[in-house]
Amino acid sequence: MGVQKVPVYCYQCVAGPDLLNVVVEDGVATTVEPNFAFAAEHPAGGRICVKAYGLVQKLYNPHRLTTPMRRTNPKKGKDEDPGWVPISWDEALDMLAAKLNAIRAAGLLDEHGYPRLAVTFGSAGIPVAYMGTLPAFLAAWGPVDQDIGSGQGVKCYHSEHLYGEYWHRAFTVAPDTPRCRLVISFGHNGDASGGVAGVWRHAEARARGLRWVQVEPHQSVTAATASEWVPIRPKTDAAVLFAMLHVVLHELPWQEVCDVPFLRHFTNAPYLVGPHGYYLRHGSSRRPLVWDPRQGQAVPFDTPGIEPALEGEFRVRGVEEGPDGHCWAHHAARCRPALALLREHVRDYTPEWAAEIADVPAATIRRLATEYVETAAVGETIDIEGTRLPYRPVAILLGKTVCNGWGGYECCWARTVLAALVGALEVPGSILGTTVRLNRPAVNRLESVRPGSDGFMAQPLNPTDRERWQARPRSRNAYQTLVPLVANSPWSPALGPAHLPWLFLEEPPEAWPPPTLPEVWIIYRTNPVISNWESDRLLRQLPRFPFIAAFAYTVDETNWFADLLLPESTDLESLQLYRIGGTKYIEQYWRYTGFALRQPVVPPRGDTRDLTDIATELAVRTGLLAAYNAAINRGAPLGVPLQSPLYDLRLDLERPYRAEEIWDRICRAATLSLTQGREEKDLAWFKAHGAFLVPFPERQWYLHPVMAASGLRYELPYQERLRRVGKELRARLHERGIRWWDAQLAEYQALPHWKDFPDLWAQVARRYGKDPNDYPLWLLTSRSMQYAWGSNVSLPLMAEVARHVQGHFGVMLHPQTAAAAGIREGDEVVLEAPHGAQARGKALLRQGVRPDVVVVLQQFGHWATPFAKELDMPTLNQLAIMDLTLTDATGSSADLVRVRVRRA
Amino acid sequence: MARWGMVIDLRRCVGCQTCTVACKLEHNLPPQTFWRYVIDAELGAYPEVERRFLPMQCMHCGEPPCVPVCPTGASQKRPDGIVWVDDTVCVGCGYCVVACPYRARHLVLEERWYFGQPTPPEQARRQPARLGVCTKCTFCMQRLDAAPPGAVPGRDPAATPVCATSCIANAIHFGDLDDPQSSVSQLLRTHKTVRLLEALGTDPAVYYIVG
Ligand code: SF4
Ligand code: SF4
Ligand code: SF4
Repeated sequence: MGVQKVPVYCYQCVAGPDLLNVVVEDGVATTVEPNFAFAAEHPAGGRICVKAYGLVQKLYNPHRLTTPMRRTNPKKGKDEDPGWVPISWDEALDMLAAKLNAIRAAGLLDEHGYPRLAVTFGSAGIPVAYMGTLPAFLAAWGPVDQDIGSGQGVKCYHSEHLYGEYWHRAFTVAPDTPRCRLVISFGHNGDASGGVAGVWRHAEARARGLRWVQVEPHQSVTAATASEWVPIRPKTDAAVLFAMLHVVLHELPWQEVCDVPFLRHFTNAPYLVGPHGYYLRHGSSRRPLVWDPRQGQAVPFDTPGIEPALEGEFRVRGVEEGPDGHCWAHHAARCRPALALLREHVRDYTPEWAAEIADVPAATIRRLATEYVETAAVGETIDIEGTRLPYRPVAILLGKTVCNGWGGYECCWARTVLAALVGALEVPGSILGTTVRLNRPAVNRLESVRPGSDGFMAQPLNPTDRERWQARPRSRNAYQTLVPLVANSPWSPALGPAHLPWLFLEEPPEAWPPPTLPEVWIIYRTNPVISNWESDRLLRQLPRFPFIAAFAYTVDETNWFADLLLPESTDLESLQLYRIGGTKYIEQYWRYTGFALRQPVVPPRGDTRDLTDIATELAVRTGLLAAYNAAINRGAPLGVPLQSPLYDLRLDLERPYRAEEIWDRICRAATLSLTQGREEKDLAWFKAHGAFLVPFPERQWYLHPVMAASGLRYELPYQERLRRVGKELRARLHERGIRWWDAQLAEYQALPHWKDFPDLWAQVARRYGKDPNDYPLWLLTSRSMQYAWGSNVSLPLMAEVARHVQGHFGVMLHPQTAAAAGIREGDEVVLEAPHGAQARGKALLRQGVRPDVVVVLQQFGHWATPFAKELDMPTLNQLAIMDLTLTDATGSSADLVRVRVRRA
Repeated sequence: MARWGMVIDLRRCVGCQTCTVACKLEHNLPPQTFWRYVIDAELGAYPEVERRFLPMQCMHCGEPPCVPVCPTGASQKRPDGIVWVDDTVCVGCGYCVVACPYRARHLVLEERWYFGQPTPPEQARRQPARLGVCTKCTFCMQRLDAAPPGAVPGRDPAATPVCATSCIANAIHFGDLDDPQSSVSQLLRTHKTVRLLEALGTDPAVYYIVG
């Protein structure tokens, strides 16, 4: 047989996919290497990261489940052995189909209106690159609850996802690294979690002189490579960002350092705001008004040829539109441009004020703000593929814990306003959005830009008016009811307050339909018992679930509670075509776009099955084959329909197809649609070549040209619409007697104020009857490249190389902190949170950790997963307190908790 | 004759250990053996602290202390500068392991498997000849020696050490130090570099860019 190199993609982390070859020697996969055939097209020279080298061990892991298993012990619990017995696929699929058919017979929704079938996928969308045609099965099924969380929100860039997409179609935000000169990163750990594209580009940029300032409580991998590390108290980032706004707008000559034309014509800075906090509008057309100094009067914002005022106070006739159609008509209202209100808003947020809160010297804040505006190169332009665009080489990045949970809105807002002030938004050198998940089409964020009201982009907010608001939640985290910003795309359920189902099962809220359990819960590539916060709550609830079917790689802590384990063929054993290139998560923006194949490099181990074949079997057994095939024909698995004016590759609705045949058609349809019918590549071609790419214009990295062409503005700095939406949501909830979301409603501010965010965690300690001062340390977590998103904790190879990275596997704390507690390097220590939960680990003394902080990496704490359970690694998730008061308006929290530490 | 060497850009390295793991797979190294790995270290005291990454491997010394101590002649330096061990001659005495100031030599006495028992790739690539003898970074000389005609080491992946071709920060450059046109020579001319423990007179062929 000799040596073969089989091309596949890796999408073990959201910063992919990347392309590799698997080396197969005499039928055995032995190693992997970058697919250098794409070195020129791939942004990181075709390379793959450390995780991809674990794929061979993942394939041959002897702890894998290689046959379906059925539980024999009806009692479920952490200390109850499930009593797994192997069964055939026929038995397994019959068993699941019987449960599913019972649901179809009883009705897809239960008596409270919740779907009886629920599914949960983990890892930020990664499963979609591995689950074959399962999405087509779910599409054929009807209402499915995807709301039961596995840690999202608290483990993601949640506020950035929601507000970023709202303001500039930026579900994820990246710097235009190839052109940027200054990055100020608040905890954004891109050199550990930004994938090969991020790491490669950052390294290139450093070598040419990019300055990177890393502001964070402990020195992450990214701080290590940065030009400067600025330690900061956890959850105080908004204070520093507000103070930077203060410096720019009060201490520097703002008219000189800011991009005034950009503010006038691309933002709402000139919009006049009336006494009730809403735009003052033209009486009949209801267009927001601006002040035209030349005419000395207010005119609609889109009046041609004007240079509207950004300062001053005017008396103007007009109308304010409040919530629920409430209007105020003014004859001579006192009103001011939004920018003037912004300046007033940040007047008291001085660097000295922020220094007290954040423990960052005022001089540092001044220096960073000044450097930021000086490097922004306001006024400069650059040629991109023949188009002149503004050039603004500065970016502020936000990391996890900073841009989720309370304070996330304030940080995202201040960062994006700082970008807007100097015009460093969606132009070469600045911050860019790289993907959309709430808007459509998901494959091209530029095409999602459509004119909406008041000169801004149209936004797909969940309605809050009396007629259309979803009063009765249709799924268990109620995202359409509670979170207008999260919209209602296929991704929205997972971005809703996904921990609420867990919380509500234990503490049902008032005036709310009783929380019910799904009759069948299907889980894939997720382990919520490990990845959710306050995992103990899950241990209490999981035994109550009537039926859990888990696609399973090994036994793990969540499928320990399952009734049925379905071992699917994994990364290197199954077949799938996936999108690659264009602009995707984090720093995956390419000069090419297309499709890549994942294919079996060796026959599947044991009796594992390709998920596409499993989905087809389930469709047959539930009588959904025609609907399932129709969903594939519509493009459910990849977004490419099998029929267009150029081709007709549709499946016959009535007969089942094997995975190879389905994906062959998808390969052909994908290439035909990408090339407007010029090229057709079938599965055999993809198996030989791995990927098909066409050029992707660099101009499309930037939103600015589209905004300019459609005459649209960014809805910054003033959040008039969100203010109105917040008032409406309050009214709707109160009308139904719901008061438990009131704290969240306070987030809807047109210009957000600083709140004492760290104190929220102290309050939680008090609610548990504890003195917060007895828990003086912040426990934080940080991603590592070896493990981030990887579903690879059971691989000894990964643990072995990870041991070279500081922080694997132990508890990092400052020597001073350790000494005060009598702790020496290597001692076993106990971390304890105010609600009593504890975790243990070995002390690792580090200077690069603030003395009030303790850090553990990634997510561990396994007790069932083979090998991982031997790692003896503490985890934040056992200690983080899942609590409604720690939930922000977008439905997320931040992954940190106050703790105390002692020697074991 | 070439003199093979490496230039590693410390401004680029992120300590990700991709090179570490790629080397392990390429050479089918047993658990706990690393022909190369990357040190992750702290310098200074809070808050003036720096975290630094330092890739470590055999330096392919011009004056290798590991060679003269070898009683059997197994430890050798090739004319192209590569220091290697002929495992058909090595008796595993370990003198070289002690002599190497960079801790770049490894003696494995018994077979080790990641899961107790060998997995199929471990079984297929079993190398009993490597037990009880000294092993070390070879600059991937099997690749250099089998380079396809016209392939330039340091430029063509098939003829270049895997750590260099796998590095995701483009930090590791390989080539002929004696060829002024090679990328490594050009980097040495244009950047500030250091070598480790130079004072020992080992004349390492691995340089580190520091500015
Ligand atoms: S960066 Fe992510 S997608 Fe790319 S090789 Fe690594 S794990 Fe795979
Ligand atoms: S680094 Fe050690 S093993 Fe390598 S040549 Fe020098 S002395 Fe010998
Ligand atoms: S692969 Fe490159 S960046 Fe990563 S540790 Fe090795 S030398 Fe450093």
